Amino acid sequence: MARVFVSTVINAPADRVWDRIRDFNGLPKWHPRIRDSRIEDALPADQVGCIRNFNLQNGNNIREQLLGLSDYDMFTTYAILDSPMPVEDYIATLRLTPVTDGARCFAEWSAEFSVDPDIESEWIANIGGDVFQGGFDALKRHFGG
Amino acid sequence: MVKVYRSTILEAPIEVVWDILRDFNGHDRWHPLIARSAVERGYPSDKVGCVRSFELQDGSKLRERLLTLSDLETAFSYCLHDTPLPLFNYVAHVRLTPVTDQNWTFWEWESRFDPPPDRRDELTALVGENVYQSGFDAIRATLELESE
Repeated sequence: MARVFVSTVINAPADRVWDRIRDFNGLPKWHPRIRDSRIEDALPADQVGCIRNFNLQNGNNIREQLLGLSDYDMFTTYAILDSPMPVEDYIATLRLTPVTDGARCFAEWSAEFSVDPDIESEWIANIGGDVFQGGFDALKRHFGG
Repeated sequence: MVKVYRSTILEAPIEVVWDILRDFNGHDRWHPLIARSAVERGYPSDKVGCVRSFELQDGSKLRERLLTLSDLETAFSYCLHDTPLPLFNYVAHVRLTPVTDQNWTFWEWESRFDPPPDRRDELTALVGENVYQSGFDAIRATLELESE
């Protein structure tokens, strides 16, 4: 299994950042690579098991299923069902944790997946850089650092 | 049972912070409350199950046992055996996580324990502020000195 781990510090309290990212159908609102998103079968976006069907800016389509959502621990876990990426068994978690001695929070985004060893490092870099760090950079711009 | 949780960001690589924190017998070198530390029976301080004996700045003594230590998770946990304060069933966890886009460190320190009901607020504040937050501040100051 390949593993990706990316983390950052965002200059806003965890509950404010969580408000922005908890919506499983809300990627187009905050992640620059996502063009549009819908939840299949008209389920609520916080119903565990629901599937988001979204398109990237480059036109690629991805379907992901919500596996876990916790407002108490501020994390969301999901699996890729269909994507043009050459990865299998992909499960990712996005989590926020308060930094108690300042008005900021720690954000971590990690994933595990199977991939052909010849292209493993390339896909670790793609997912960790474009998807995870790209999302964090957008959040940091939004919250001023 | 109460839970105390404190966390901070240190602007230093996780290897540097872990190098200081992982020594279960080294807290007298950086924590302002602790005057002296010794591991009993001459055990190495990274032997899980070892007991450290502290003398605090005020002369009181306490003993703590190392329950877990993980270099992979950069974490350890410990419990309190003998203490001048009524922190019953006290188990604490320290964990470091890398901040990958800055090469910094996220440090969490938390515990659960049973205080006497009438001293609950006093003891949770004491553990959170005088032990954990002042430990954060002391390590931050140590790292700033080293980088100058």
